[in-house]
Amino acid sequence: MGRYHRPLALADALATLAGGPATVVAGGTDVFPARLGRPFAEDVLDITGITALKGIGLDGGWLRIGALATWSELAQAPLPPWLDGIRRAAREVGGVQIQNAGTVVGNLCNASPAADGVPSLLALDAEVELASSAGLRRIPVAEFVLGNRRTARRPEELATALLIPEPGPGARSSFEKLGARRYLVISIAMAAAVLEPAADGTVGRIRVAVGACGPVARRLPALEAALRGLPLGPDLAGTVTPAHLDGLSPIDDVRGTAEYRREAALVLVRRAIRTLTEQA
Amino acid sequence: MIAKPAIPDVLREPGPGIGKPLSRVDGPLKVTGQARYAAEFNVPGLVHGYIVSSTITKGRITRIDTAAALRRPGVLHVFTHENRPHVAWFDRKWKDEDAPSGSPFRPLYDDRIVHAMQPVALVVAETFEAAREGARLVQVEYEAEPHETDLAARRHEAFTPGKEKGGFEPPPKPRGDPDRALAEAAVKVDVEYVQPTEHHNPMEMHGSTVVYNDDGTLTVHDKTQGAPNSHSWVCSVFGLSKSAVRVISPFVGGAFGSGLRPQHQLFMAVMAALQLKRSVRVELSRPQMFTFGHRPPTIQRVALGAAPDGTLQAMIHEAVQESSQFENYVEIVVNWSGQQYRCDNVRLDYKLARLDVFTPLDMRAPGAATGVPAIEMAMDELAHALRMDPVELRLRNYTDRDPNQDKPFSSKELRACFAQGAERFGWSRRNPQPRSMREGRQLIGWGVASGVWDAMQGQADARATLGIDGHLVVASATADIGTGTYTVMSQIAAGTLGLPIGNVTFKLGDSALPMAPIEGGSWTVSSVGSAVLAACERVRGRLYKLAAKMEGAPLGKAKPADMVLTDGHVALAADPARRVPIAEVMRSGGVLAIEEEARSVPYYVKRAQHTLATHSAVFAEVRVDEDLGTVQVSRIVSAVAAGRIINPKTAGSQVMGGVVMGIGMALEEETFMDHGLGRYMNHDLAEYHVPVNADIGSIDVIFVDEHDEVVNPLGAKGVGEIGIVGVPAAIANAVFHATGVRVRELPITLDKVLAGLSRRSAA
Repeated sequence: MGRYHRPLALADALATLAGGPATVVAGGTDVFPARLGRPFAEDVLDITGITALKGIGLDGGWLRIGALATWSELAQAPLPPWLDGIRRAAREVGGVQIQNAGTVVGNLCNASPAADGVPSLLALDAEVELASSAGLRRIPVAEFVLGNRRTARRPEELATALLIPEPGPGARSSFEKLGARRYLVISIAMAAAVLEPAADGTVGRIRVAVGACGPVARRLPALEAALRGLPLGPDLAGTVTPAHLDGLSPIDDVRGTAEYRREAALVLVRRAIRTLTEQA
Repeated sequence: MIAKPAIPDVLREPGPGIGKPLSRVDGPLKVTGQARYAAEFNVPGLVHGYIVSSTITKGRITRIDTAAALRRPGVLHVFTHENRPHVAWFDRKWKDEDAPSGSPFRPLYDDRIVHAMQPVALVVAETFEAAREGARLVQVEYEAEPHETDLAARRHEAFTPGKEKGGFEPPPKPRGDPDRALAEAAVKVDVEYVQPTEHHNPMEMHGSTVVYNDDGTLTVHDKTQGAPNSHSWVCSVFGLSKSAVRVISPFVGGAFGSGLRPQHQLFMAVMAALQLKRSVRVELSRPQMFTFGHRPPTIQRVALGAAPDGTLQAMIHEAVQESSQFENYVEIVVNWSGQQYRCDNVRLDYKLARLDVFTPLDMRAPGAATGVPAIEMAMDELAHALRMDPVELRLRNYTDRDPNQDKPFSSKELRACFAQGAERFGWSRRNPQPRSMREGRQLIGWGVASGVWDAMQGQADARATLGIDGHLVVASATADIGTGTYTVMSQIAAGTLGLPIGNVTFKLGDSALPMAPIEGGSWTVSSVGSAVLAACERVRGRLYKLAAKMEGAPLGKAKPADMVLTDGHVALAADPARRVPIAEVMRSGGVLAIEEEARSVPYYVKRAQHTLATHSAVFAEVRVDEDLGTVQVSRIVSAVAAGRIINPKTAGSQVMGGVVMGIGMALEEETFMDHGLGRYMNHDLAEYHVPVNADIGSIDVIFVDEHDEVVNPLGAKGVGEIGIVGVPAAIANAVFHATGVRVRELPITLDKVLAGLSRRSAA
């Protein structure tokens, strides 16, 4: 068993990481089950004492989600409608006990292909704030998650927050999750979408992402480009074609076949877009 | 000590309790956390065992190195097949009440590995954590042999078992010429259904806390559906005298059949306690809950032939089911088909295939939950082929005699189940055309199926002790696995002696109490309830005699036959205002307590002349997402005929729970086997899906009036299993009605539905 660190100041946490790698623990909802029955051979950095990492709030055109903010806090925070999609995702991450303990940033750092928060973060153009003794850097979520359980975080870095840019006026978002049962289930596929309408009633900017259909969740740039400028109405969802989902690489597993996932992802994307048009 | 069967007064004049929807008497203990379960009993000096599971499926252990584990601080001992204490040799010594024929599994017996994750060592340590860490450090080397775990691969090498297990008779001989009748039938279906392995997965995992007493005796807290079963098994396996062991199990956190046989953690904990002379607890992990009995996978062929008017002319039901290499577990899934419908040309055939798995084990409605869905889905396919309403088809072939045994049913109100269920559901508004109902992208379907289960009874004892303070204690060694045993037994006792329910304490789950059989098969109300009734009737008889002899004759010259017990008084039946408090009767007779014990014995002769069964008609509404294939069961109506219902609330909850489990069976439950490794893949509750609350819609339970004087003195048949039996088929039939897609492989997961929808639109 390695050492267990529980600093109260961010600087101490960064100093610990500068001294050598450690497994970072916040809610522990992914870390703990993965090690059931096995001791931690490595050092552990428990960041739950660092109050500076708590909280969710809008600040200068950005929504900041601190590294200790839980899914329940996100679901309950008084936030504008353009965050409805990720708030819906917040209620689909495990059960309520998991939502009370698990953090949004932790879900991202765990980098599961089926992480329920990631499609929304991608669609929201979120960025990750990484701190180390050398200073701060920010990188887009799309560049942060590299593969199954792999991220761009360096061993000496701590992910301290997620930062989401405030979109244009009238923006809204949606989220769809499919599992083999209605709740408490690992996703077969997910879709998230964020719309910034143009003043003339057409699609200004739209960002769409799909999760659990490949090693990492992915944006669908071809679809986003195709939808731009189209009228916002009930027909918009129907313009999504299977070819728009070509970038996905789903696999067969016990939860569903690759073929089923591909079909399901198409349906979920259409529904996520339909939700956006119905919110008008 | 044997009670003579007679129609009890309690049923002629129901007292306070019988038939009332009382809440569970043990409810407050459970919701306040005061009810303690097997692995929650703590004693000073308790040590902990952790089981090491094999990493191969078949072969032998070539070497076990326990040195690293033993060096770990806190580790006391590592038990393996090389150093285990002496245990029984004969197979019969290892048999428990629920054992099928064969050679029961013996933990740590020798170097043979016969199934995946077989227990190969027990590490005992001062703390649970040290034991678990020690278990990780045990090094085991194996010589693996090829295994086979795929039922489809062995189905053609299956054999016909004999009578291997109590309660499960081999199929009857064929009637008529079913093959020819099938060939000549105007309308026919001939299809195959496949069902997967399922695991019981009660919330409480199997655990045993063995307390090593100062005098060397053992007090065993076990998770079990029969404290006497665990008791006699432990005594037999370890060669202990009956008085050296006591098994206690007052609360069980669900079992569904998993507690019908003593599981290996009990062996481990007793073995360690005896050798180390310490109190020991062994509790299984959730993955280890997948290392013993399960509902076996099954492949079934059902062929039905009918005349254009729906009259059945041929029925062939053949099943192949998994068993282990060492025991012949049977559940003869086909017999209910021949019992449920009138048909002159019938062949029922049941075979077993030996695979390298642990022996299957009764799981809620064993056999019926597997076989009845097959016949009931086939009947729906036949109704569709005939263009006939599926309820009408079932009534067309209804039978009041059991064709398998050519005997009348003791009672069978299945017609009333169909009528009342259909009325409540609104079945008459059903358009028979598949895909005829939709709301947006949701296809809506209505399906129906019937259910059937046996109304069994065993011998049981009960002791009733009435104190002069008016408090009655009734005791029997039976179990309450969450079913309501405490409550209904208290009701029967209170009803018989005219006492408020609050004056009754029922004790169970203790091998020191009067004998009761394992709690399963829906027979506990029948077996134990009849014994409680008999014991309380004896107490009542004693009270009447004392009342008749009272000084001053407050009840005049009344004889016992002229008396009744009401509201804590002995009263005149003809003039209930003339009454004497029970306490006064006892004081006058000079007794402080009246204690009576009685054994209930089934009406063997009458039972042998009849077939005894519970029945149900289940109606289901599903909503199928046309784009995703997801199935939501929005509505279930289950109309049940099970004789007298002692407590409509607990019985209703039992059926409701059965419906939920049936929804799981239809849509979600499946243990996946990796045939390459021979190991179950999804051995946790994240990946082994049971329904969550959000999966469940409305469940409406109806109890149909049914009078039965053959089943037992109470007229009650028991409802533990019947709730699940008709549900999977009703849902599968509703999915077909919604979509036009027939999924014959349970569970009906979304990808199977969507594949069917795609094929359909391509066609």
